[in-house]
Amino acid sequence: MLELVDLHRRFRDIVALDGVSFTVPEGRIVGFVGRNGAGKTTAMRIALGVLQADAGEVRWRGGPVDTAVRRRFGYMPEERGLYPKMRVLEQLVYLARLRGMPKAEARSSAEQLLATLEVVGDPGARVESLSLGNQQRVQLAAALVHRPELLVLDEPFSGLDPVGVDVLSGVLRTAAHDGAAVVFSSHQLELVERLCDAVVLIDQGRIAAQGTIEELRVSRARNLWQIRLRDVTSPWWEVIPGAAPLRRDDGVVVLELAPSTDPQRVLDVARSAGDVLSFGPVEPSLQELFREVVS
Amino acid sequence: MRGAADRGAWRLIAARDFWVRLRERSFLISTLLNVGVISVLILARASGGLGGGAPTFDLGVVGGPAVTSVANDAAALGHRGGVTVIVHPYSDQAAADAALRSGSVDAVMTGTQLYGLESVDQTLEALVQTSAHAAAVDAVFAKHHVPEAQREAASQTDPLALGALQPAPPDRQSNAGVAFIGVLLLYGQLFGYGLWVATGVIEEKASRIVEMLLSAIRPRQLLAGKIIGVGVLGLAQLITIAGFAICLAFATGARFQTSTAIWAALLVIGWFILGYAFYASLFAAAGSLVSRMEELQNVIVPINLTILVSFIISIGSLQDPNSTLAIVASILPVSSALAMPVRIVLGAATGWQIALSLTLLIGSAVALVPVGARLYAGAVLRTGSRVKLRDAWRAA
Repeated sequence: MLELVDLHRRFRDIVALDGVSFTVPEGRIVGFVGRNGAGKTTAMRIALGVLQADAGEVRWRGGPVDTAVRRRFGYMPEERGLYPKMRVLEQLVYLARLRGMPKAEARSSAEQLLATLEVVGDPGARVESLSLGNQQRVQLAAALVHRPELLVLDEPFSGLDPVGVDVLSGVLRTAAHDGAAVVFSSHQLELVERLCDAVVLIDQGRIAAQGTIEELRVSRARNLWQIRLRDVTSPWWEVIPGAAPLRRDDGVVVLELAPSTDPQRVLDVARSAGDVLSFGPVEPSLQELFREVVS
Repeated sequence: MRGAADRGAWRLIAARDFWVRLRERSFLISTLLNVGVISVLILARASGGLGGGAPTFDLGVVGGPAVTSVANDAAALGHRGGVTVIVHPYSDQAAADAALRSGSVDAVMTGTQLYGLESVDQTLEALVQTSAHAAAVDAVFAKHHVPEAQREAASQTDPLALGALQPAPPDRQSNAGVAFIGVLLLYGQLFGYGLWVATGVIEEKASRIVEMLLSAIRPRQLLAGKIIGVGVLGLAQLITIAGFAICLAFATGARFQTSTAIWAALLVIGWFILGYAFYASLFAAAGSLVSRMEELQNVIVPINLTILVSFIISIGSLQDPNSTLAIVASILPVSSALAMPVRIVLGAATGWQIALSLTLLIGSAVALVPVGARLYAGAVLRTGSRVKLRDAWRAA
């Protein structure tokens, strides 16, 4: 398990991290979400040892993270980077060996990954000659080639086409299934919701919420109900005490009910107002939870 | 285990940098250029064109037998000193001047004048003036009927014995040629390979791969690997060129002492290692401050100038290796890598000067590595505008 414990970091007058703590268990995929400048990249860089924290610590499997431990981590920085003139396979083998993997093993692992990630092109070609999408896949291969125990990916989905998104999702699931701890940042919240076992929400250098999406929903529990009526535009709910409209769109309205208000009473009123097409509780999406948390 | 893995990391970095640079076209070009320049210098020396041989002068003479006699005396005098003077009599001054203009003669002598096209070589002038003076004295003796025996006695005074408080080695002149080639090579290698370190740092920063690398290894390992990889290539190139130069000098019979050439080559190689160790971490730190190749020139100007000024002082000290400037430059670590080997080859450096120079250079090279590494670590991840030295120092 990766543990970030009370990390603080300032850049001159800007507080980038203000007591950030969260964990990434092995075998799990954790989504790391927050607005631009919230501190995601800083936290990830500190976890990788690329940047030093002013205070706080990073632990892996309960122990401190030193060079030898860090070699078993995989990283995909937000600022993508490879040697443009180095050949694809040669580069992957080199990066794997830098992390202590023997040459032959590095080579077979690199070849296998290029196939899994469906990198099109000659493995002997220079990286700069590949299309951007393929370069992105090689970048991912560079993070995975040494079979890391922890994968830290900064915006891995940005710039990928839908097929690339599916391939990457599959690769991350496989890595987690094989026992790796996976954490990635993303602005694509539906994707995070679909892929991640848990979510960490960071806002202005502080963790605003964390847990499984279910836990977040429960902790942010609001009694929301959505009703769709045919051809009714009048504010029929105004007669119900303890029912406030959250949003309305044509015949659809989402009401937040006070704990004492019985949903069945709402249905009765709705039926008297017109034909009820649908009626049911609403689960907030991650997007909605996110908006609520950071607003 | 950690130690073993760390060692492996810098070796991988060094090996990559070595092979990548070796395969670059600029490496091939610089090797060929070096070999070409050195071949020209050595061949020129082998044919005596670089002042290695005894000088020869063509002296045009206009006038009667008395004038011709003075010219012949000058030639005889020159012959004793190993200088050849060939006398060309001309019927009139216009013919002599034409010969001077066409370059057939180096100077023209009349009964009253000695002149060249632009100037007269000092050696030739001294020979002619001495002969003219002797002829004048002879004429006075003749006028006063001084007996032949006394004339002989007057003209055969013992010359003053020559000596020197600090005698220069007898072959300093030929050694200066060796030292010149050596310092030229050193300058090219120190500057060229230092620049390659800086370029390599910027390449990794500009392509952003540096963040990938630093998630796997420490900045110091990355820096050490890069400096060692590029340096070993520079060393290999230097050894190749020096070997080629010695073989060529030997084969063409250039007027070097072979032992001096080998000794000079070893000196150049040794001082390259020290000088490179001193400058390379500065080059790397400078490179890490900027993010684009276009900005490289701005940050390396101070290092460039230091090496260039050291080079100029070293060339100057070929003439006067014991001037205060030459001595100071050969001891200060910022310039000693270029200035000291020259003085050693010329036999001018004393033991304590060499010891002090070595101590200072090695000491400051060792001290600079962590300074360079800290600046590098503090700046290398910051892309965008140029990083200030102070910020880089604090960020690490």
